[in-house]
Amino acid sequence: MTGHIWRNPLYFWGVEGAEKEVPSIPHKSPQDVWDETTASKAKMLPVGRLRYYYKWPGHGGLTWPRFRYWGTRRRALNIRSVYNPKTMRLEKTIVDKRPIWWVLGLLAFMLAPLAMPASFQNTLLTAGATFSIYAAINLCWMLIIGTAGIYSLASYAVVGAAAFGTSWLSINLGLPWWTLPLVGAGVGLVFGMIIAVPAIRLDGFYYALLTIGLNELCRVYALQSKQFGSSTGGLYGADTYIPQGWDQYDQSLLAYYACFGVMLAGLALYRFIDGRRLGRILKMAPEKREAFAEATGVDFRRARIWVFVISSIGLGFIGGFYAAHYRGVSFSIFSFDTVLLGLAMLVIGGIGRAEGAVVGTAIVILLDKVLLSTGPLRLILIGLIMLGVVLFLKGGLFGIKAQFRAWRDKKKSERRSMRAEKGGEMLPEEATETKDKDLLYWRRYDKMQREFLKTVISPELIEEHRKKPLGQHSEPLERLLLYFRRAPQNDKYAIVAVEPFKAYRIVALSGQRGVAPRIVEDKIYTSTDEAYHGVFLRRVQDLLES
Amino acid sequence: MAQVKLFGYADKISVKPGDTIDIHVSADGVDTADAKLVRLIHGDEHPDGPGFIEEEVACEADGPWAVRKQYTQVGSYLKVDDPTNVLALDGPITLFAFIYPGIPDAGLRQCLLARWNNDRNFGYSLGINQRGHLEFWVGQGGEVDYIQAEAPLLVKMWYFVAASYDPKTGRTEIYQEGVANRYNSLLGKVCPIEYRSHVTETFRFRPKHLAETPFLIAGSQDFHETRGAFVSETYCGKIDRPGVYGRALTRVELDEIRDGKPPKPDGLVAYWDTTAGYTDRGIGDVVIDVGPHRLNALGFNRPVRAQTGWNWNGRNDCFRLAPEEYGGVEFHYDQVVDSNWDKTRTVRLPDDLKSGCYAIRLRAGPGKGLSEEHVVFFVRPKTPKGKVALLFPTATYLAYANEHLSFDAQIIQPMTGQPPIVTEIDIEMYKNWEFGFSTYDSWADGNGVCYTSYRRPILNMRPKARMSSMGVTWAFPADLSILAWLETKRYDYDVVTDEDLHREGLAAIEPYACVLTGSHPEYTSEPMLDAMEDYVAGGGRFIYMGGNGFYWNVAFREEEPWVMEVRKLDSGMRAWQARPGEHYLATTGQKSGLWKNLGRPPQKTFGVGFIGEGFETSRPFRRMPDSYHRTVDWMFDGIEGEIIGDFGLAYGGAAGLELDRYDLTLGTPPHAKIIASSGGHSDNYMLSIEEILYPYPGLAGSQDYRLRADLVYFPTPNNGAVFSTGSIAFCQALPINGFDNNISKLLSNLVDAFTKPGLLPGSFWVNEEKQWK
Repeated sequence: MTGHIWRNPLYFWGVEGAEKEVPSIPHKSPQDVWDETTASKAKMLPVGRLRYYYKWPGHGGLTWPRFRYWGTRRRALNIRSVYNPKTMRLEKTIVDKRPIWWVLGLLAFMLAPLAMPASFQNTLLTAGATFSIYAAINLCWMLIIGTAGIYSLASYAVVGAAAFGTSWLSINLGLPWWTLPLVGAGVGLVFGMIIAVPAIRLDGFYYALLTIGLNELCRVYALQSKQFGSSTGGLYGADTYIPQGWDQYDQSLLAYYACFGVMLAGLALYRFIDGRRLGRILKMAPEKREAFAEATGVDFRRARIWVFVISSIGLGFIGGFYAAHYRGVSFSIFSFDTVLLGLAMLVIGGIGRAEGAVVGTAIVILLDKVLLSTGPLRLILIGLIMLGVVLFLKGGLFGIKAQFRAWRDKKKSERRSMRAEKGGEMLPEEATETKDKDLLYWRRYDKMQREFLKTVISPELIEEHRKKPLGQHSEPLERLLLYFRRAPQNDKYAIVAVEPFKAYRIVALSGQRGVAPRIVEDKIYTSTDEAYHGVFLRRVQDLLES
Repeated sequence: MAQVKLFGYADKISVKPGDTIDIHVSADGVDTADAKLVRLIHGDEHPDGPGFIEEEVACEADGPWAVRKQYTQVGSYLKVDDPTNVLALDGPITLFAFIYPGIPDAGLRQCLLARWNNDRNFGYSLGINQRGHLEFWVGQGGEVDYIQAEAPLLVKMWYFVAASYDPKTGRTEIYQEGVANRYNSLLGKVCPIEYRSHVTETFRFRPKHLAETPFLIAGSQDFHETRGAFVSETYCGKIDRPGVYGRALTRVELDEIRDGKPPKPDGLVAYWDTTAGYTDRGIGDVVIDVGPHRLNALGFNRPVRAQTGWNWNGRNDCFRLAPEEYGGVEFHYDQVVDSNWDKTRTVRLPDDLKSGCYAIRLRAGPGKGLSEEHVVFFVRPKTPKGKVALLFPTATYLAYANEHLSFDAQIIQPMTGQPPIVTEIDIEMYKNWEFGFSTYDSWADGNGVCYTSYRRPILNMRPKARMSSMGVTWAFPADLSILAWLETKRYDYDVVTDEDLHREGLAAIEPYACVLTGSHPEYTSEPMLDAMEDYVAGGGRFIYMGGNGFYWNVAFREEEPWVMEVRKLDSGMRAWQARPGEHYLATTGQKSGLWKNLGRPPQKTFGVGFIGEGFETSRPFRRMPDSYHRTVDWMFDGIEGEIIGDFGLAYGGAAGLELDRYDLTLGTPPHAKIIASSGGHSDNYMLSIEEILYPYPGLAGSQDYRLRADLVYFPTPNNGAVFSTGSIAFCQALPINGFDNNISKLLSNLVDAFTKPGLLPGSFWVNEEKQWK
């Protein structure tokens, strides 16, 4: 390195600080890097996915009449039209396919009795009815656990209280079956208000404990109360909507569809609360984030009382229906295993979504009722499934898609970081995600520049800059500085005058209007030249590290 | 406690003693500020100079002022004058417009045609939604119903868009068709793109209206409890010939409007013909409604007019040739021209105020940095008294007002050859859109800023400001060094501004024996240039104290002199490039761009013109052989040696920053002499674009002889004379050594000679040369 000098062309003009000969480095051609680099270091793998299905194009000149759910502004399907970046063809994608699945699923449930094998008919119809009732209960429960995010375990207590109350009234006062759900709703309302009040003050574990306690209180009270049939294991003999004169199959079929109707009502309620203003307020104010919600002007307390009251009315209604359906109610509704089974349904399906509540219920009911013959084994199976879901799935069965995508993204970035050279040529798969193809070339060019410039950094150059940060520099230093100065704005170094002519500090610009620069170090430089050199050293370090 | 911040502006930039001036102040974190009238003498705080100097002057307004936070409306839009609420339509309706979206994918809702109350969801609007699709929505308070077009809008493409609604059936149709031709849009016909979309849906309800909601084009009405009513959901892009029908138009009828046929009068409620009102001298802010109710729309924050419309086809390059092709009105959601703050105090200036540069100094809290504000204005004498006039280039201050170069421009570090040095004031300016932009910035959609005004706080028109990208003072604070020199040398001077020169022409400077410019009089209107030329031709003595002067052609409206328009185009050192067809000033109808390209290179009047710029070092001048001629050697009385100005507050030399050069081919008077020239500039000094036909290696300071500043002198008719310094850094050399140095001496010799009536020194040494030596 020694013996190489650079002669300042401005020396003869007598420019201040222009030395006649500056120690420099041997000449290096910036073209060498280009000549040496003939291929990417990372292997270039083929990318591209075959379109194996048809995508509808845009409507173009044709008029597209869009249909809505009656009385709402919701379109039948949420369809997004985007230009395919590879062809610029306008293509339609159904963003949310759930309405289709719901329609198909509910239709299948409706038509299922037609396809049931005769030998299992009775079991299946009963199981179907039970499933519908539990699904309806779970949907109401999901409003509290999912939408409001409050761990209340008192839902079955509300159902049970309504069922016991209405059964008693029906038996003793002779209320007809059709009043039972309505009276049950009234019981639910009272209950809802009772459990809503502590929810404002307690949270998490403590609230769960309280509601378990409430559940247990109901059980013990009913168990010991003669009026509520402590001797018969429950209250039986309430009026029912099922005409007793019908034959068994017709009775089961009616029960099946009546319960199906209750589940549809549960779904409607869920949609009505979760998808509208109340649900949105609750979802932005989950536990631990109440303070933020409050600061933005959201009255989450009122919203929580409302959701308790509404869902409890729903649960009470179902309780009344339950009594009219089973002609009474047993203590088991209050038992802890009922609560746990219900919780298993929600967790398996996925908290916070209607399909989670319904499908989770279906799975557990199927295992519980249909595999009744396997005895306690089925409970172990349910336990294992729940354990598996809790261990491996973040959002239950219906969270699998998002979880899979997140996992795939993780794998993708792992693979990319293994293959790609840091700051090097873009990989073909990265290129597919880059809208402006000019950037692909910029990355290549930038890489070549850096490779070359790394070879010119030397103590001589750094010393040359230190002596004279501004002004004419030797050719290699000038190249280095020009590269630094042309960097994109985001995270580009600048200097802040803490006190003009006395104290300066290095910052990095945001490159984004409205966003202040960030401070990168605490060091105070006492002159501009020192600060310029400080910026230079940081840039050299960044270059060498890249 | 919140950080104390003070910002202010004055409604006028040039006043006379005894006048009143309105000061508008906004304050953060404080409710009183201490006000004081001060005379500004020197700005640059560089330790090699005298530092910041101000002189307190007694004034009735001195003392505590009640101040408060004031808000600025950001974004340009048109407000329709509809006093009888004709447009509060709740029956059938059709809205239509040609649009050219600037950032459809901004992720923000942008309204095109809206009688929409954004706070309470009343009314209707046609706009662009957060996903970048055309959308029409109606509200009845609380509930909103909407319909969106299928194809997303593409950036910088012309579309014809419409929405119609019939309350009888609830049927709503949204209509979107591309109307790009070979010239008017970003993409051409080679792209296989389907721009069209027609969707129908059934709305549940008809819109309900609030009486106080205005009909806005490119925005919607909003409300905030501390701020009151304001406009939000403003739009980026152009709108051409929008209209409203009181019936639901059929597809066929809309197709006719799309094809350029005039809208049928049947059911037409309003039709804003954006091409109406053009004159040979430009166009104003009123967009004319040619419909039955004459509901004209008034522009706020200066929507840009004289822009190409949807039917521009490349043949005509100016609205003066084909106004029907210039219906484009361009809006920007980050445009600010006037802060429109409430007046904080009317100040009556003392009657005996000396002419000079003044400021209302406001202080609160710590009283420095952000908590100190100087609201600057210039005071002319009631009647001109002095012999010397210092012409403050206020047009330049407007052009650079609140420039964002250090933060936004990737090119600025390679240009200036150094990392920027920003202050907390610069950062505050960058953090808030309310301060608006300079003509060196671009709006969010990438289009260059063509309007700038002083009815907003200008944070770099403060005496202590430094140009962050260059680390030196620039424009106003640098020009104070000339004022301080005049003050120190006890010259009898008055100050005049570009605004006075523009409005009064020659009369503004005619009474003075000698006129000095500021360091960078880059922006010049035709009346200003005419006045200076007439002054010189009429026997005035003119010292051009800077570099890169008289460069851009700019325009001001007579009734709104606080707003300046410039369009940067085709050549010249320019921060942006006007689009094809948009090179003419909406304010005057003149072509903008460089005076050089308009046939008036600065060399023609001032002997020198721009040649190049560089920013990390400055150089001295060295006397040229012609300076020894007896016609001019009197300038060097008392100056030793050939080198002058090897010092200065701007990089240590008198020749630096931006340089001007003598050039006979551009009209430097043939009898002009080069008195001294700089040289040895570094390679950071590059030739200016308009001098380059083909770029080749070596067009920089150490290899191109043209990169230099020339001191040029020539006599003019009627005993007049012009002396040009050709360098911005020249005036920053004056304060060195207590204003006692050879640059100061040279300037004294000149001003002394120029203020003496009669013949100039050396006038008789003009005989033909018969040399023995």
